[in-house]
Amino acid sequence: MDIIVCLKMVPDTSETEVRVDSTGKNILKVRLINTTNEADNYALETALLLKEKHGGTVTLISLGAQNVDEVLKMGLAKGADRAIRLTDGLFETGDAWTRTYALYQAISKNKFDLILTGCIASDDGNSQIGPSLAALLNIPSAAYVTKVEMLDNTKAKIDRELEGGILERKEISLPAVLTIQTGINTPRYPSIIGIKRAGSKPLDVFDAAKLNIDPKIIESLTELQQMYNPKVEAKAQFISGSDDEISEKLATLIREKAGL
Amino acid sequence: MIAVLIEHREAQIKDISFEMLTLAHQIANTQKQEVSCIILSDKCQPFADAVKNYCHNIICVENDLLNNFNNQIYLPILEKIITETKPTLTMIGHTGFGTDLAPYLSTKLSMPLLTDIFDVELSPDRLLIRRQMYGGKITAEIISKKLPAMVTVRTGSFEKILTSSSAIKGLNANITNVSFDIDQSILEKSKFLEYGEVPTTGIDITKSDVLVAVGRGIKEQKNLAVIEKFAEDIGGTLACTRPIIDAGWLPKDRQVGSSGKTVKPKVYIALGISGAFQHISGMKSAETIIAVNKDAEAPIFSVAHFGVVGDLLKIVPMLANRIKELKG
Amino acid sequence: MGIITITKEIRDAIIELGGTDAYKCYQCGMCTALCPWFQVEKVSFLVNRIPHNVKLGNVMASEDKKVIEKEVEELFRCVGCDNCLEYCPRGVNIGDIVRAIRRILIDYEALPKTLKDITTKIYSSGNPQGDSADKRNNWAKKLNVPLYSPELEYAYFPCCIPAYDAQVKRVAESTTKILKATNSLFGVVKDDVWCCCEAIRNFGAEKIFQEIAKNNISALDKAKVKKMIVTSPHCYTTYKNEYPELGSTIEIIHTTQIFAQLITNRKLKPTKPVVKKVVYHDPCTLGRQNNIYDEPRSVLKSIPGLELVEFENFNRKDSMCCGAGSGGLWLDWQKGERMSDIRVKQAVDTGADILAVACPYCLIMFEDSVKTMNLNLEVKDISEILAESI
Repeated sequence: MDIIVCLKMVPDTSETEVRVDSTGKNILKVRLINTTNEADNYALETALLLKEKHGGTVTLISLGAQNVDEVLKMGLAKGADRAIRLTDGLFETGDAWTRTYALYQAISKNKFDLILTGCIASDDGNSQIGPSLAALLNIPSAAYVTKVEMLDNTKAKIDRELEGGILERKEISLPAVLTIQTGINTPRYPSIIGIKRAGSKPLDVFDAAKLNIDPKIIESLTELQQMYNPKVEAKAQFISGSDDEISEKLATLIREKAGL
Repeated sequence: MIAVLIEHREAQIKDISFEMLTLAHQIANTQKQEVSCIILSDKCQPFADAVKNYCHNIICVENDLLNNFNNQIYLPILEKIITETKPTLTMIGHTGFGTDLAPYLSTKLSMPLLTDIFDVELSPDRLLIRRQMYGGKITAEIISKKLPAMVTVRTGSFEKILTSSSAIKGLNANITNVSFDIDQSILEKSKFLEYGEVPTTGIDITKSDVLVAVGRGIKEQKNLAVIEKFAEDIGGTLACTRPIIDAGWLPKDRQVGSSGKTVKPKVYIALGISGAFQHISGMKSAETIIAVNKDAEAPIFSVAHFGVVGDLLKIVPMLANRIKELKG
Repeated sequence: MGIITITKEIRDAIIELGGTDAYKCYQCGMCTALCPWFQVEKVSFLVNRIPHNVKLGNVMASEDKKVIEKEVEELFRCVGCDNCLEYCPRGVNIGDIVRAIRRILIDYEALPKTLKDITTKIYSSGNPQGDSADKRNNWAKKLNVPLYSPELEYAYFPCCIPAYDAQVKRVAESTTKILKATNSLFGVVKDDVWCCCEAIRNFGAEKIFQEIAKNNISALDKAKVKKMIVTSPHCYTTYKNEYPELGSTIEIIHTTQIFAQLITNRKLKPTKPVVKKVVYHDPCTLGRQNNIYDEPRSVLKSIPGLELVEFENFNRKDSMCCGAGSGGLWLDWQKGERMSDIRVKQAVDTGADILAVACPYCLIMFEDSVKTMNLNLEVKDISEILAESI
């Protein structure tokens, strides 16, 4: 089974403050560590586990400048076979549509049974590229997948996460795009031997011209106007009174904040 | 026209449908546009009845194959309806269904899509939305460069539409039934099997919007039951600190903190948690933190937004009753 | 018998990053026996296998997910207490070898998530809590401690934990009380001096260590700091033994040193009795790694009414680690795997009322163990006990 995994490099902001830069259109990128998007890491692990079980290859694909190679090399160190990086100024300035189309052009030149990617990117939070890619490739897709089980070479049984602890179980024919939810598995660490071997695995780089992409087609459909930090509440406001009064005030508060 | 895709599961209409209707009317009022609901189901009537006083038009597609959601079956039908009826804006819930459907559909329609939005401003030639980025640490304003466009709407961002709303008084929607021949071969590509429950051992506390966390202040294992019931009543998930895990009262996957999970729920209720360094690092980014602790000096109050100095074993049962009253 | 093959590419990579001591080892096993993990029943940590495996290039050499997972867990067990180095007949610095391996792993994020998060927090906001850099001196503002300026004799850096953590803040507060009582001229270091990065260097984050250390040195240089008092032995050892290689020339003083000095010079005289039995725990970083054993004891002995007792066997250079070093503070091991649990039991066995410490890491670890084990023992920093007496 040949699997393509789309990886995105994102700044790790889960543990840090995020500030807006002077343009008001981007975050201040200083003092942030770049890493593989969390959900994509689970997608990669899903691919590696399927490869271990059913054989085949894992190809990584990512968009961005040369520093994205760090993410690709990490995937290669963990056991992927080859990597592709798409890089072009046109992709950088684009939106989800731009990036989806670039991935589509690169992927459609490859043989594959399955495309895996994360269900959401921690930076833009779009949850868009996986199913959009499936639409361009005209193959089925499933989002927020929490379990993948191969039935045979052409069919997989999957679970998708819905709200309130409910999941949807379905059968999907291959080739297909699955966007993987975090927690589906435990992503592995690369070994030192894997790290050492990653250097000799193929990593190809393509730009828009090499992919025959018409710049007009990939013009973005949306435009970010401005970003800002949402207001935060002041700290520790004590609620006092009798236990009964406290309960009443707390109940109102919880109802409001939890949206009961 | 503003189109709203009605979401339902197992014969129940989902709240997000009514929330989107509130938003749809907000926009429609300023634009003098009409609101249309799209219902895809094996039995459309009950859903049409539920929304007919909240919209101008209803488009129903009834087919036995539409008894359960299946993105591949929904796609060609919605593609056809949207192409023919040309809504300026199509709204789909940012839910398990919507995230599976909207990006695919918008791409097929070559339409801009803005996902997980919580606010919309629409003028005749411009759509501006607000949404969060970077895990809620940033709010972004994004415009769609062309119309028509599609959005997926974040759940809980709008009140459910109410009968008393004056803007929609006297509405009684025209219902149009559209027939659609579903190509059976789609089932070969994508087939619904069943709904299942997420196994309880696999409860992921990082995904819960409301967490009720207990610490040493709970004192005895038997007190957990009250808290667990309370968590359930407010639609929350039970979490805890490390000593509770040490005592073997809850499984490891419930632990919040540096050796457990880092959580960012909308509401974090810390009960009897003093706020050890390792615990605080796992929960301080919650949107609203409510702490109940006997010790007014407990470090938990340095990160809490709301604090109660008191006995949780007295307050929680009373609070649970209050919540029940509020829920009616 | 199988033939041993050496994976040269792994061996060479580790040696290149500082693991040369592996070749000194003759496998006597002393390190394993002396490692504090040896006292933790649930854990088997064969320290002497580390240099052996490095020589064979048999470190993270498998491609089996489970094997790698286990190996990562093992490689991050070493708390860098240097108890093995103290007694090694060949002077093998296990800490250096482990650090060399971790340096390879950290670039590929092969480290526990908790430690990865700590690195991110320190890199972006300068402290392991991930709080805003500009809140660092909030504690000092409340006590009207001025910012350091060149006319003051000392700069004071309380370590990130007392500066930010509500529970440990009291150490910075009592230190301030003591220094103020002696009319010592001191000010807090400006908030552009960040975490010393000792812990993250020990768990492998060398590049970030280098970057922040250089920033700290230039910030202190700009502020014209000549002498700096620190609360944490971890800051102490970094500024004293590691920053000079990067150009730092400031004189570094541990709080117990300045307290002892003030008492000797009769600038400070503890008068109020503290009628308690106190056992002092030597932090690895202060004692074994920097030979500061006597100052903390002399401070405690100067307090009227206080009876100082010693741990049986495990004192001074044989002190048992609290488990917080090299990231252990955040790894927060499971029940049954905590060195601090063993150590507080040893403290209780001495019959002491108070376990005195001189390190914020030890303070957190022991306080937590005392609470979880429901022991009748107070854990206090020396500064707190001294402040009570003046």
